[in-house]
Amino acid sequence: MSAIEVERLSHVYAGAEGGVPALEDISLKVEAGKFVVIVGPSGCGKTSLLMMLAGLRHQTTGTILCDGRPITDPDPSRVGVVFQEASLFPWLSALDNTEFPLALRGDPREERRRRAEAMLNLVGLQGFGARFPHELSGGMKQRVSIARGLVQDPPVLLMDEPFAALDEQTRMTMGHELLRIWSQTRKTVVFITHSLTEAVYLADEVLVMSPRPGRIVDRITIDLPRPRTYEMMATDTFGKLRERIWQQIRKPEGAH
Amino acid sequence: MTQAQIIAARLALLAAVLAAWALLPKYGVLDPRLLPALGDVLEMLVKQLGRPLVHEAIGVTALEVIVAFVIAVPLGAAIGVAAAEFEYFGQIFKPMLFYVFSVPKSIFLPMFILVFGIGFPQKVAYAAFSTVFIVIMSATAAVESVKADHVLVARSCGATRAQILLRVYVPSMFPVLLEALRISMIFNFTGVMIAEMYASRTGIGHLIANWGENYQMPELFAGVILLAVVAICFNEAVRALEARVSKWRT
Repeated sequence: MSAIEVERLSHVYAGAEGGVPALEDISLKVEAGKFVVIVGPSGCGKTSLLMMLAGLRHQTTGTILCDGRPITDPDPSRVGVVFQEASLFPWLSALDNTEFPLALRGDPREERRRRAEAMLNLVGLQGFGARFPHELSGGMKQRVSIARGLVQDPPVLLMDEPFAALDEQTRMTMGHELLRIWSQTRKTVVFITHSLTEAVYLADEVLVMSPRPGRIVDRITIDLPRPRTYEMMATDTFGKLRERIWQQIRKPEGAH
Repeated sequence: MTQAQIIAARLALLAAVLAAWALLPKYGVLDPRLLPALGDVLEMLVKQLGRPLVHEAIGVTALEVIVAFVIAVPLGAAIGVAAAEFEYFGQIFKPMLFYVFSVPKSIFLPMFILVFGIGFPQKVAYAAFSTVFIVIMSATAAVESVKADHVLVARSCGATRAQILLRVYVPSMFPVLLEALRISMIFNFTGVMIAEMYASRTGIGHLIANWGENYQMPELFAGVILLAVVAICFNEAVRALEARVSKWRT
């Protein structure tokens, strides 16, 4: 059974002059444990698609199944979400931020402490639980966000350009760290990015979306061996894969 | 300058002002009939604080301030939150609220006297009226300080509407609301004082107005010190709380 199954999903925004088509006839399957990256030009609706996978927004037509059951509302036990920067609550410590979903669910205090601490350890932040977000670097904040996304142990983790606001070096390190966390937890990951290098480096499969209305115009299997290393970025295969994605994205509208 | 030096300089400034007030009238540099020396004023303050008439006035004024505050703050907060949360309500009422906010409230005082007389209800009504607009403005700003991103995160974590209110809105708004509370109290206190000084038979404001009219300067300044101390204490207490709860805003 696929971890995620999207069946003929379309979305139309209510605009001033009638509906604006945003997503058109999207179907996709993500096998459990796979790392899928979605790339596409700005405004192609990839974030909207992710929000729908998270149950945070409703599509006009089509269905989304996660673990075989439809997603209609947010369900953090099935789907964890990691947003762009600044999504931590600034009035909570790193530990309290991580526990947040468990606190909403009303888990006993001891239990959720233990679980949140384990998650902070997993993302490499042991000993930083008492720090507040303004006392953490950009990369550390995103580590906390990942810990929070994983704290309910959902099979699926959705990530919306989580490293876009980080500097290049931190971004590379975080990508590498994410792969380590992924290989330890074996989650199904759907990851959105603008960076083609990041896409090829992280993914098992890259889905390329067209400009609005967003459609999936190419699926590229990334057959680079795992674990991935920084050296692979300099190889021909890496360059060719990156080039193929770039060719798809730069195609003018209507050429697909 | 280090923090310690700044504090030392502040204390020196305070000491200089108090020393000038204590000494200059004594040596005739300032006219003691217009500005009695600090020592004489403090002596008068102690004496006045022993008088039942003054006790009663303090009680009346305190009650007016508290009742007006308790009416104006929840009312203003409810209207302010509604104006921020319900789009059409806000669009329709906001301009009107801004217009009235900009008008000096004291020009309405004669109307309050005509409607409520010169007793307790008039003081409370006028003070609440002069406070409610600043509360509305602040509450609107507080709601608008809640980040949409934080609400989205909470929803993705499975928060219900009530949980979003309690765990996102309240902590986001809390520092802004405390600041609002502090500023509202300044407006509220001012409202009560103006109403008492303008037309009243009791209250500290009434006593101060009387002392002024009768040229009783030590009594007048004793009243000023009393009110200043109360107002500064309230303001600083809320400010300290504000600093504690808004550490994360830095």
